[in-house]
Amino acid sequence: MSRYRYFPLISAPPERKLRIVEVLGGHGLRKRLFDLGFHKGDEIILDARGLLRGPILVRSVSSDTVVAIGRGIAQKIMVEIISDEE
Amino acid sequence: MTRNKYPDIIFIGQPNCGKSTLFNAIAGLKAETSNFPGTTVKHTHSRVNILGHILNIIDLPGLYSLAPGDEAEKVALSHLFYEKPDLIINVVDASSLGRNLELTLELIEMELPLVVALNMMDLAEKKGITIDVARLEKELGVPVVPTVAPHGRGLKELLERAVETLFHQVRPQPLTWSKDVEEAVNQLEKAIPLDFPVVANRRFTAIKMIEMGSQYFYQVLAEINLPLKKRLDEVKKYLEETHNVPAYEVVAAERHHLALKIFEKCAQVARSTKRPLLHRVDDLIMHPYLGYIVLILVFVGFFFIVFSIGSPLEEIILGPFERLRVLLFQRLGHGFWVYLIDGLLQGIGGGLGIVLPYFVPLLFMMALLEDIGYLARVGFLMDIFMHHLGLHGKSISPFILGFGCNVPAIVSTRILESRRDKIITTLLIPFIPCSARTTIILALVAFYLGPFWALGFYVFHLILIALLGRLLSVFFKEPSPGLILEIPDLKIPSLKNIARKTFFQLRSFINFAWPILIAGSIFLGILQSVGADGVINKILSPLVVKGLGLPQELGVTLIFGFLRKELSLIMMIQALGIDYQQLLTVITPAQIVIFTLFVSLFIPCVSTVAMIWKEVGRRIALISVALNLSVAIILSLAARIIFELIGGI
Repeated sequence: MSRYRYFPLISAPPERKLRIVEVLGGHGLRKRLFDLGFHKGDEIILDARGLLRGPILVRSVSSDTVVAIGRGIAQKIMVEIISDEE
Repeated sequence: MTRNKYPDIIFIGQPNCGKSTLFNAIAGLKAETSNFPGTTVKHTHSRVNILGHILNIIDLPGLYSLAPGDEAEKVALSHLFYEKPDLIINVVDASSLGRNLELTLELIEMELPLVVALNMMDLAEKKGITIDVARLEKELGVPVVPTVAPHGRGLKELLERAVETLFHQVRPQPLTWSKDVEEAVNQLEKAIPLDFPVVANRRFTAIKMIEMGSQYFYQVLAEINLPLKKRLDEVKKYLEETHNVPAYEVVAAERHHLALKIFEKCAQVARSTKRPLLHRVDDLIMHPYLGYIVLILVFVGFFFIVFSIGSPLEEIILGPFERLRVLLFQRLGHGFWVYLIDGLLQGIGGGLGIVLPYFVPLLFMMALLEDIGYLARVGFLMDIFMHHLGLHGKSISPFILGFGCNVPAIVSTRILESRRDKIITTLLIPFIPCSARTTIILALVAFYLGPFWALGFYVFHLILIALLGRLLSVFFKEPSPGLILEIPDLKIPSLKNIARKTFFQLRSFINFAWPILIAGSIFLGILQSVGADGVINKILSPLVVKGLGLPQELGVTLIFGFLRKELSLIMMIQALGIDYQQLLTVITPAQIVIFTLFVSLFIPCVSTVAMIWKEVGRRIALISVALNLSVAIILSLAARIIFELIGGI
């Protein structure tokens, strides 16, 4: 049900499989995320959150890399939850 | 650069793929390695003899793709595009193959002779990834050799395949994309006139035009070839309309999907249900609260370990030198030559007894933390604090390097994408206590006043940086672009790597700083023998005596402190004409604090100033000097007043 709801990565639940739906941002930001293996349609998992308003830690399932992302940027990455049946 | 007659071989790979380690294994000790993305910001050249052929091998900064994001990547690209290497060795991190293949695919598009070194195979195996190398070789159409650089595994085969590919100039065939994208690229390629300046080949040039984000490029293109510009616009518009994303993203997605497809065909991932031990360690050190406790413990532990190794050694080594000096003056009087020999003894003894006991453990511990992968995690943990300085966690990398030496720290600001971040970081770096200053703090403050004073001193520096950062970000209003930092896997430290790195940095102290120290000490000896130090001291006395309340003799040491910070400290003892045990009889603890504070802050050392000038320009370099001077004067005066009010320490 929640599959069709998009929300920013910053408010995503931890340890759940997520899919990147859209990156709202300019060329520079999108390119940097691509470079690190985060593309539209990729599966990611929110690993951990930093202190208070600190950054979050995101793991890309497909390329198995971990990236720390600042809150400002995490607000621009729209994701959806992938349901367990998939 | 003029081309020599030896073939050029370029090592290229994504950040933190073990490229520098591999390069070192081949070239000997040339490039610095680390477990921290973006450490290589300059390229390293080396001429080597491989299987009887003399080759020119070049280590480039890591890059994620052939479209530059930051300055370090631009350096790498200009090398690749304009100096046309005869062979590319693409170093690939086997433990994150899917992503690394995207760069490989892009390199194949250049159609230059290419060999893939499938590095970090051990790490991949640990992660449960098995790679069918023969299959991968077939899919990519280029030689693929599995390697484990620190153990030298696969090096011989890599070199054999490289030499073979080089001398037969085997060129790879680009892999085809989806039909419609391929067709669009093809159309643009046809529109490129024959005399157009082509990079690598026509197809690659066409792809790069589509990917290009710079408005400037489009304007230039419209000036020089309007029909081509129009065709480019058409092709981009077509791609954008059919795929519903910007054109460059269509291209990036093609590579991404192709890379993932190849990865799925050639690799099997056995995910274990049990979390590996290192991951559980990671959970702790990255924990939102416990992580900070670990960070403080690591920081304090670091400090005490270095101090508890350094201080007994300082005493053991300085003792004999002191006795030798006393003997010297007793036997030979106070002639010119005696001062000269005294200077020499002070220089050698100072380096041996004051610098090395702290410097070596300091470098070793830094290298250890870096090799484990902890430093990148510090970047994650510190991001929130860096925001208060108007920066973000990526600036932590230059900052951390700054604790070693400010000079490479300034160079590494190249990894920052925005000029604003670069300038603020550059202005703050000179306030970071580098190893030279840490040595002063440990050998002077900790040795004479106790380790807690030294720790306090250190913390004070960090608070100062925070305050200055806040102040500076008032002048630079635009916001920082925000943190995106790759966190490499934790790994068991390799003693060989750490020893290498320690040696590498130590060598630059021995080759460069120590000779200056010895020359400086001898020079001070000469000044003293002719009484010239008195003149310099007189000139500086309004500041040193009236302002800071220090003995007049210390004036001359400030001049040397501009050359190297630790010189001031070592020469302090020489300038006061005493041995190290008597220091507290001629100078009070409060004066030690004021002197250390002033020396540590008063001006970036000459190499740092030169590097700031080179990296961000004269204006910023002058601002940096002025900022340091004013901060040093204000704080030392304030410290003096406080100490006078509370009646000393």
